[in-house]
Amino acid sequence: MRPVGAENRLALAAAAGDRAALASLLDAYYEPVHRMAWRWCGSADRAEDIAQDVCVKIAGGIRAFKGEAAFATWVWRITYNAALDHLRRASRLRPTPENEIMALIDTEAPSRETPESNAIDGDLWREVHALPPQQRDAVLLVYAEDMSHAEAATVMGITEKTVSWHLHTARKTLRNRLEAAE
Amino acid sequence: MTERELKGLKDLPTPSPRIGAKQAALRAALDAYDRTAEETSGQLPQGFPSRTRRTHTTSNFPRRRMMKFSRSTYATAASIAVLAIAAPAAFVYLDHTDPRQVLADRQPVGSVLDMFSSGGNPDGRQGGEASMTSDMQPALSGANRRTSAVPLSPSTTTKDKIASKTGTGSRTVSRSRDSDLRFAGVSEEKAALPPPPPSQEIIGQGALAKMDDGLRREQPRSGAMALGAYNGDQDNQGSPVSGFTAAPQVANNQINGIISHNIPQDLIAQPPANRDRFDGAAPNPVKQVAIEPVSTFSVDVDTSSYSFIRRSLNAGQIPPKDAVRVEELINYFTYDYPRPETAAEPFKPTVTVLPSPWNQDRQLVHIGLKGYELANRERPRANLVFLIDVSGSMASNDKLPLLKQGLLMLLDKLRPNDTVGIVTYASGSGVALEPTKLSDKARIQSAIEQLGAGGSTAGAQGIQDAYRLVEQAFDKDAVNRVILGTDGDFNVGITDQGQLKNFIEEKRKTGIFLSVLGFGQGNYNDALMQALAQNGNGTAAYIDTLSEVRKVLIEEASSTLFPIAKDVKIQIEFNPAVVSEYRLVGYETRALRREDFNNDKIDAGDVGSGHAVTAIYEITLVGAEMKTVDGLRYQPNTNLGSVGQKKPAEPAPTPAPTRTKTDRPDELAFLKLRYKLPTEDASKLLTMPVLTSQALDGATSAPQDVRFAIAVATFGQLLRGDEWIGRYGRYDYDNIITLANAAKGDDPFGLRAQFVELVRLAKALSAKR
Repeated sequence: MRPVGAENRLALAAAAGDRAALASLLDAYYEPVHRMAWRWCGSADRAEDIAQDVCVKIAGGIRAFKGEAAFATWVWRITYNAALDHLRRASRLRPTPENEIMALIDTEAPSRETPESNAIDGDLWREVHALPPQQRDAVLLVYAEDMSHAEAATVMGITEKTVSWHLHTARKTLRNRLEAAE
Repeated sequence: MTERELKGLKDLPTPSPRIGAKQAALRAALDAYDRTAEETSGQLPQGFPSRTRRTHTTSNFPRRRMMKFSRSTYATAASIAVLAIAAPAAFVYLDHTDPRQVLADRQPVGSVLDMFSSGGNPDGRQGGEASMTSDMQPALSGANRRTSAVPLSPSTTTKDKIASKTGTGSRTVSRSRDSDLRFAGVSEEKAALPPPPPSQEIIGQGALAKMDDGLRREQPRSGAMALGAYNGDQDNQGSPVSGFTAAPQVANNQINGIISHNIPQDLIAQPPANRDRFDGAAPNPVKQVAIEPVSTFSVDVDTSSYSFIRRSLNAGQIPPKDAVRVEELINYFTYDYPRPETAAEPFKPTVTVLPSPWNQDRQLVHIGLKGYELANRERPRANLVFLIDVSGSMASNDKLPLLKQGLLMLLDKLRPNDTVGIVTYASGSGVALEPTKLSDKARIQSAIEQLGAGGSTAGAQGIQDAYRLVEQAFDKDAVNRVILGTDGDFNVGITDQGQLKNFIEEKRKTGIFLSVLGFGQGNYNDALMQALAQNGNGTAAYIDTLSEVRKVLIEEASSTLFPIAKDVKIQIEFNPAVVSEYRLVGYETRALRREDFNNDKIDAGDVGSGHAVTAIYEITLVGAEMKTVDGLRYQPNTNLGSVGQKKPAEPAPTPAPTRTKTDRPDELAFLKLRYKLPTEDASKLLTMPVLTSQALDGATSAPQDVRFAIAVATFGQLLRGDEWIGRYGRYDYDNIITLANAAKGDDPFGLRAQFVELVRLAKALSAKR
């Protein structure tokens, strides 16, 4: 990975109208974006839709990029919001009750690989997705996407403290569920 | 669950995207990028895209201007300054255009390299190469090499690094620059690298939010984030770099709407009533005739606002102001205005001028428009398919059973030649009844009676099935319509709302319309229902009682199902010699520009057989005291200083002689009406002067229907807290009750009596506050 300075410079070049710079950035980011999208929606097909949305949004907004923040953080944030939008649309404009999330995913067109393909990890994924949305998001950002609390806070648009609180609550919930299951 | 276990999340296998998908995505993105280049090189779009009718923001779906928006969406995304009020509308546009974009871009492509080397912007590319620094060059070439989908150079393996535990990828580097992140995140430190102008203070998230506002302001955000964005932006309102200018009130409305379905309930407490989405517009202001003598708007025959406030009041809550659309309240009731004689001239306007009941210094101009009522034998054949939600939530008594009763009643109104089909949907969908002629009524009846008995079969093609059935029995001379009955579950087979709207619009172009009947409470989604119905040239009605079923499906069956005119616009020009000020009551979201009136491309409301449309203006006559707006000193005819002295009925002495010719002191205003017959594309014009001699001395001498409409209008304004009502008099709910009671008339279905009850309820509830 190129250092953030170079990356931001590429982004700034793209902002200034350099098509090749943008293509290079998108090319490098497509897979991570797709992976992140998949972690939220659990379907490779849908993740492709989200990733495409994200690419279009990056391309549409890059001209406003001024280098104030890391390009990467900006991308994660766009991805995060695009993923939430998709989840929300899939939930037919209602807050999705936790127990419906799995049903939603089950009705997906056959995806090539689902979290369920690995029993233990599938359980973990399922448990995490049964959490209230913001707890789920905090857990996925910090543990799956390997972000710092501060970065997760930026992406989610909440304070770092709230992220920590969500994580704390999520861990507690998950622990309790696990104990109840045993 | 331990940290370690959670960390396992990272190692969950993730599927790789198809190469084709990636190429399509990149191509779509670069296309978007090129478009923003074209647009930014020209004039920067500012504010809300012009030439569109103002409508409810959430129900503002493009019809004929869609292609235009698919471009300007990107333009605005790349540039600056869109009012916050445009946000949901733009969201819709994006939604709308995206699927097409996707389709268009799913074409097979060569390689990533081809994509950007063959793109349409050689200049940009050259510039890019020239500007590339040494450390960017390898990155780019790395990217090029990766067209083989195998990462060859370490400089390109972003994804791998990110996934790896040691992670030296962008994210790790970002973290090493934590201070930057903090500014972009939550602290209130200033931006580390403030953009020009340097004096600007960007608070916390504002900086980042601003950036992706450029992209995402079209989209509802999760509430906290939206707040962050708006807060941040309020600090640099109006500055050239601020992503947009937030109108705080509007922003709040939107946030409320968004919160309702996007934010975990554990963090934000909210009353359940707010689940229903509405968008509001500020009441029309008082305008001076001398400055703006012409008022133009589109008719509106929607009525769902009334049903909503009724439900709200009955539940013991004063409805949110934004939910009160005065014109929909007025138009909920049937008025027996004088009827037109023939279908060739589908409207007859009736104008009444009377003193305002709530302000003795004002007059009201009541315009009643009655559409021609097609006699049963004149009306076209009906080819109807009902698409009915039979999911579990529809089982309660105020939903499916109500709908079934309504359908059975409707059968009596149809003729033997008409056809009815039924498609049901829940988890799957099924055809409950193939299109069947009314001559075989028994079969239709039994199909209706069996609804909800779990007869649905597999397949998630509800809406496609419904349209397929209509197409089966399609008759270009008939009314071909799908009628969707649901409690807010739009799982009709197309899950993406944008696609759904596109689908409905495409079908509308082929002559198949859609109406929506909403049932139940809670998940009711006013915005989406209105939007779908508008896209399908239909009406959205909210149904909560049997009498409402009867009203919508039986009383108004012909007006709901058989349009007699479309794109109906009203323009009224006030005579400055007689009228000094005017204010249109309601129709805030239906305002048109003056020049739109004669532009047949501008979309407006449709009117069905027998529909009545009512509009009310409050006017101040020249010479009346207590003007709202002072006149101008240097303009003729703004009537400064005429306070207290009634102008004589002759030309004003000062102005140029040409003026005397146009003064026409016997005319109060001139009413113009434009409409298209359902099958025509050119509009027709209908005009009539409103004479001063028509003015009535007292409100009591006005026709009963006029008085009732005024009572309803007053109620709406009072509920909305309009300043105009309480300002000069102490007009309150009791006055409305008196006014309405005296104008109830026959009231065969008790709707007007019910209105009076509602006013009482509102009075009691507002007293409690």
